[in-house]
Amino acid sequence: MLLIGENIHIISKVVSEAVADRNEKVLQQMAKEQADMGMDYIDLNVGPARKDPEVMGWLVQVVQEAVDTHLALDSTNPYAVEAGLKVAKWPPLINSSSGKQESKERMLPLATKYDCEVIVSVLNDQGIPADAEARAESIMDTVAYGNELGIDNERMWIDPILLPVSVSQQGVVACLEFTQMLPDLLPGVKSTIGLSNISNGVPEELRGILNRTYMVMLDRHGMHSAIVDAEDAELRDLARGKMPEIVELVHKVMDGEDVDINSLPPKERDYAKTVKVLMGEILYSHTWLET
Amino acid sequence: MSFKAPVESYKGRVLEVTIGKGDREITIGGETVLSSNQTFDEGEFPNAPKIALEVWDTEPQGWAPWVLEPYKDVVGDPAAWAKRCEEAGADFIYLYLLSTDPNEKDTSPEQAAEVVKKVYDAVKLPLIIYGTGNEQKDPAVLSKVAEVMSGENLLMGPAIKENFEPIANAAKQHDHCVVAQAPVDINLQKELNVKLTRILPADKIVLDPLASALGYGIEYCFSVAERTKHVGVMFEDTMMQMPTIANFASEVWKNKEPKQAETLGIAWEGVTGMTYLLAGANILVMRHPEAFSMIKQIVS
Repeated sequence: MLLIGENIHIISKVVSEAVADRNEKVLQQMAKEQADMGMDYIDLNVGPARKDPEVMGWLVQVVQEAVDTHLALDSTNPYAVEAGLKVAKWPPLINSSSGKQESKERMLPLATKYDCEVIVSVLNDQGIPADAEARAESIMDTVAYGNELGIDNERMWIDPILLPVSVSQQGVVACLEFTQMLPDLLPGVKSTIGLSNISNGVPEELRGILNRTYMVMLDRHGMHSAIVDAEDAELRDLARGKMPEIVELVHKVMDGEDVDINSLPPKERDYAKTVKVLMGEILYSHTWLET
Repeated sequence: MSFKAPVESYKGRVLEVTIGKGDREITIGGETVLSSNQTFDEGEFPNAPKIALEVWDTEPQGWAPWVLEPYKDVVGDPAAWAKRCEEAGADFIYLYLLSTDPNEKDTSPEQAAEVVKKVYDAVKLPLIIYGTGNEQKDPAVLSKVAEVMSGENLLMGPAIKENFEPIANAAKQHDHCVVAQAPVDINLQKELNVKLTRILPADKIVLDPLASALGYGIEYCFSVAERTKHVGVMFEDTMMQMPTIANFASEVWKNKEPKQAETLGIAWEGVTGMTYLLAGANILVMRHPEAFSMIKQIVS
């Protein structure tokens, strides 16, 4: 699975201050760290950047000076994204367009104009689709629209829009189902997901196990990439095939094989319990590892 | 060949919780089916839902005249008010300790416990005691009530995530049951239940997922209450198998419409109550005697 490092994100205080002060060093250092940690892409999130869309252009230049890693330009504002596209040395990934009319008309054409790949989410003017089928319906429309603009399936990275498990456990299950359906639905498309969102609102020390377990589950269903916390070393190890025994355990529990969870060592037990919750078999609560 | 209808049954069971002691003992819960799902032999519903009538420890302000009327000669005396509710056929007395709230009269835990004792002595029904949800004051009040009424197995609450520990510890020490209240959120409800069961046995806990009035967001409360039963009965989640209480009367009567017309108000409370019965509530807390009799006829 390809990993897109999420750590340059405008919500982070360090990042927003560095961007506001045009502090190149801080941002270059963050980019280098993510590159060193083996991220395949580095996401540059500037938020909506309504007052200053040009900031993306500046950020892209700054980061390009420090690393050769692929970039994902993350903003809902097409002006900001285009400011980045104009100065990028090689075509970045656009993050993201959606099925919203405005996004289809203004963001998606940038992928044609700059000949790059683009993340396309299932979001539409009605909001986030409720289940896997509604997600499928929404994305078929948007991808067809993209095809008409001359963007091949292979250049579109589909994002099912993940909500926190503490908000919508059904949504977590729906994203898994949708990921499984996707190759039949739209042959050739790639996929991605905002992985850390699954653990938003969860106590800090419990976030990692949710992120990691869900990544392994998605990977099994063919998810092409994920936008992740680059600093999570165990997550990187899992994604790079360094923890095959955990992956195997996750698959077993997904398959409903008889696993005596309580006899497992603590780490394995946590993964197994988390799979049960993310499959929707056990009602989520912040105490899920303790029962 | 005779036709045999396929029957869907579940493996989970709502826990039986006994409230009160000796002659005033009432057991709720114990069902292996969802509410009203007893057309065939799906399972059992051994203890029909029970109804509590409200008594306040202080004279209510701003009640509609038609909801005050049946109680107007007793609202100054909680013991007499409770007696009135007992005569009306209530299963439980629900005693609301409004006066203890720092924003009201800020009466002391000792005073509150004294009122509870008086009410208890005046009737032969088990009691449900509610504080006002004040994070700091409720533990002090309920701990004192627990102590004064030691061993009488009252149902007391609400224990919320911010203050469940002292309340549950007092209930444990003096043998009472506790209401676990979460704000219309099934995930937070489960978390609270998990934490509470480290102090109290699960069969000393009743869940209050909050209950709003018809027309005021009842869909959300219904969904959470119903889903609680799904998770407990259908999916056998032992942390969600406690019986539930629907405490909606004050939510109904604070609204404009029930205050404007008597018949409408009574129907409003009745329909709201019926809705929570369908969601699987094991105890309803009601106010108007006519709305109460309407629901009482349905459950018995």
